[in-house]
Amino acid sequence: MPIYRYIEGQSFFHRVHPAVKVFALFIMFWSVYWVDNPLALMPLGILMLIAARLTGAWPNFYRLRWFFAILVATTTIMWLFFYQRGTPLFTIPLFYLDEHSITMPLGRHTHTISFGGHTVALSVTGLSIIFGVGRGLKLAELLAASVLFLSTTKVEEFTVGLSRLRVPYRFGFAISLAFRLAALFGDSAATIVDAQRLRGYNFNEGGPFERMRRYVPVAVPVFMGALRKANNMAMALEARGFGNRVEPTTFIDYPVRASDRLAFAGLILLGAFHFMLYYTGLGAIGPATHRPASKVPAKAVARSDESASAPIYQSSFRLP
Amino acid sequence: MKTEAEIAIAAAPATSALSVENVSFTYHDSERAALRRVSFTLAPGEMIGVMGASGAGKSTLAKCLNRIVPEFEGGEFSGAIFICGDAVANLRVAEIAPRVGMVFQDFEAQLFSTNVAHEVAFAMEQIGMERAAMAARIAPALEAVGLDGFEARDPTSLSGGEKQRCAIASVLALSPSIIVLDEPTTDLDPEGKAEVFALIRRLRQRGLGLIVIEHESEELRTADRIIVLREGTIVADARPTEVFTQFDLLNESGVRPPGLNHVLNLLGINTHAESVEHAYAEIVGAFPRLKRLGESARAQAIKPAKPSETEAPLIKVEEVSFNYPNGPRVLESIDLSIAPGEFLAIVGQNGSGKSTLAKLIVGLLQPIEGRVLLNGRDRASMTETETAPQAAYVFQNPDHQIFSATVADEVAFGPRNFNLAADEVERRSDEVLAAVGLRDARESDPFLLSKGERQRLAVASVLALHPRLLILDEPTTGLDHREQLRMMALVTELNRTGTAIVIISHTPWLVAEYARRVVLMRRGRKLFDGEVREFFASDALLRGSSFVPPEATQLSRRFGALALSPAELAAWLQERL
Repeated sequence: MPIYRYIEGQSFFHRVHPAVKVFALFIMFWSVYWVDNPLALMPLGILMLIAARLTGAWPNFYRLRWFFAILVATTTIMWLFFYQRGTPLFTIPLFYLDEHSITMPLGRHTHTISFGGHTVALSVTGLSIIFGVGRGLKLAELLAASVLFLSTTKVEEFTVGLSRLRVPYRFGFAISLAFRLAALFGDSAATIVDAQRLRGYNFNEGGPFERMRRYVPVAVPVFMGALRKANNMAMALEARGFGNRVEPTTFIDYPVRASDRLAFAGLILLGAFHFMLYYTGLGAIGPATHRPASKVPAKAVARSDESASAPIYQSSFRLP
Repeated sequence: MKTEAEIAIAAAPATSALSVENVSFTYHDSERAALRRVSFTLAPGEMIGVMGASGAGKSTLAKCLNRIVPEFEGGEFSGAIFICGDAVANLRVAEIAPRVGMVFQDFEAQLFSTNVAHEVAFAMEQIGMERAAMAARIAPALEAVGLDGFEARDPTSLSGGEKQRCAIASVLALSPSIIVLDEPTTDLDPEGKAEVFALIRRLRQRGLGLIVIEHESEELRTADRIIVLREGTIVADARPTEVFTQFDLLNESGVRPPGLNHVLNLLGINTHAESVEHAYAEIVGAFPRLKRLGESARAQAIKPAKPSETEAPLIKVEEVSFNYPNGPRVLESIDLSIAPGEFLAIVGQNGSGKSTLAKLIVGLLQPIEGRVLLNGRDRASMTETETAPQAAYVFQNPDHQIFSATVADEVAFGPRNFNLAADEVERRSDEVLAAVGLRDARESDPFLLSKGERQRLAVASVLALHPRLLILDEPTTGLDHREQLRMMALVTELNRTGTAIVIISHTPWLVAEYARRVVLMRRGRKLFDGEVREFFASDALLRGSSFVPPEATQLSRRFGALALSPAELAAWLQERL
């Protein structure tokens, strides 16, 4: 599957200055970062869906629809286990844990620890659902932002955008080249899998780790091919004047228009809006108790929050 | 020996577009010199063809010309190179780019942009050209390579020939005085090859100096000069007339002589043939009696023995159609049966369905309609353990399957997957490595083998499964003539001992000289399925497949016969002297 899926189009998103596009990607990541509450994540999500329709990037979203669904679902389920706060709505019995006892032979202090002998259950709280859905949405929106960006930005624009944002040309070019290489490697990997299958190799044997190990007969040829291809590319690049002492020019003129400035300002507002959601506590999870506006960084806030609330793991497995 | 700088000071004759003086080079990781005291000059507008076996130093020489050697691939360099009288020592590769254009074999690795116009602009951007100047050069460059109108196309969506022409346009845009093409057509299909060679002829008319590295001597017949390299040394540097008549030299250098010259040589006529007509004139000039043969226009085809089809087919493809999900039909209602011990060639343009058909036979793809029978059993009802010994597939690029640390392990991989006993695995490895001539390399690292050896290792590794049918996709691509002959000798021997062979090939002489039956595919349909001579006798079929018959075959038809190889034609003519 080609990773780079640029879709030709004439939308505003296509025509906006490349530097604005790269900045937009940054702002979307920034906005998602500050907000946890699914409701507060909604505006950005809806904005992106509208953009997907308007730009014609929809086919790429449609292609990834299952991936989006699985991403949200698995993340939500995972957080049901790890985020245990609030009052349980219901409990789901998972399995019966046999009774075990471990004796620690410490002479006079010898004692026995017993555990198990009960059903392990997961208690689902309203907060854990909200938090889980929020986390799922966050990941989905990060993915959506990337898909939107890649669907409307040419490789060349990526390089130009980065260089206008003061990223060195070579670095910007390397990033955009990586996308092209990835597509080439994807093709050769498919052929290699076929070749090894025909030699009787079964990729689907054993557990997850065994399966990963079983990809060595694919990984080695892909890697060796990658080295060879990269070498060929490097030679072809040099032969086209790459690495010349002069500063490269750009064929396409990207004049900064009023609409670009407007878009830039809009993005700053969008970023500021999401920071405000965090700052006022509206973007946080939980009953609408406004968080005290504090200058403590987000991470620190989260951590102090956790330590203040009930311990996470101990309470997660309740005795029936 | 003088240093590079000292030689550079001595002025070279300014009349030459390129002057190479006493260039020697040894790669860092090698003890053997890749080039030894190579000297030659290229006059403005001249075209030089460079030939030689793999490892003779052709690519190294090309890379010296724009200083990829020794700037990029390091080693011990001595000698001097002048472009239009200017020494290139101390210049960077990127600084030479505007003067010497380089086109490589791997066209995929030469494209970096999302549309064709950008691709052409790319090199100009790198040397810091003004936007207006770039815009002015794009259209002429694309027109020169016949890609006008392709400006907005994504280069990855182009055909191989178009990709290579796009790569040529992008170096052409820098208006270099010399273009060096390192095996530009090796990975192309016949159409792509023809496109690129036609382009080379046009570039020549524009007065560009050209250095073309190429294995196919027929295409270099019109060059001004041919340079033959052997083990890093120039063993011939002369006009094609003089080089292509020295058969011993060509043989020793692993260069395949042009087919027409081969026929003339076998008849004892030591002249260079410019064309089929020329060769014909030479032959009837030397042997007037043969003139009558051509006049009796009826083709006295050299009659083949019809292959017996009494045996039960090994493979039977019944009304098979195929398409990828949501895609157009790739194969439409194909019937094909392959008997044990057959030697079949599947030909057709890229995208005609050749590889898809092969993949259906070996079970990498499942038919949408119809069925594939192995030994009379539907393969859909068989397990992989049952199907693998029936049909094996050797991919075009051996590097798509080699991964082991030693040659022996690579060969043992297949048998081990089928849980064969250790001593049986050992026995088979020995047997197939002997068959492909790699027994002495048992413990070698496969990645250090030559391309030809890796190709034979790939064959060995599927042979170890003892298949009754072996499908080879372009088995000789990228091999020099000596390795090609060795590969085909191996395939012929396998066929003689009972393995049915299917080759998928774009190489006319290979099909003519080795296959006994030809299947022609076109747009997912089987257009022809019959005896190889029948295929080469039909103008309509050949035109429809853009398959140019080998020169010996073309010449034989001038005599009203149909020969498949120079040897066959020469023998046939001698009988009639």
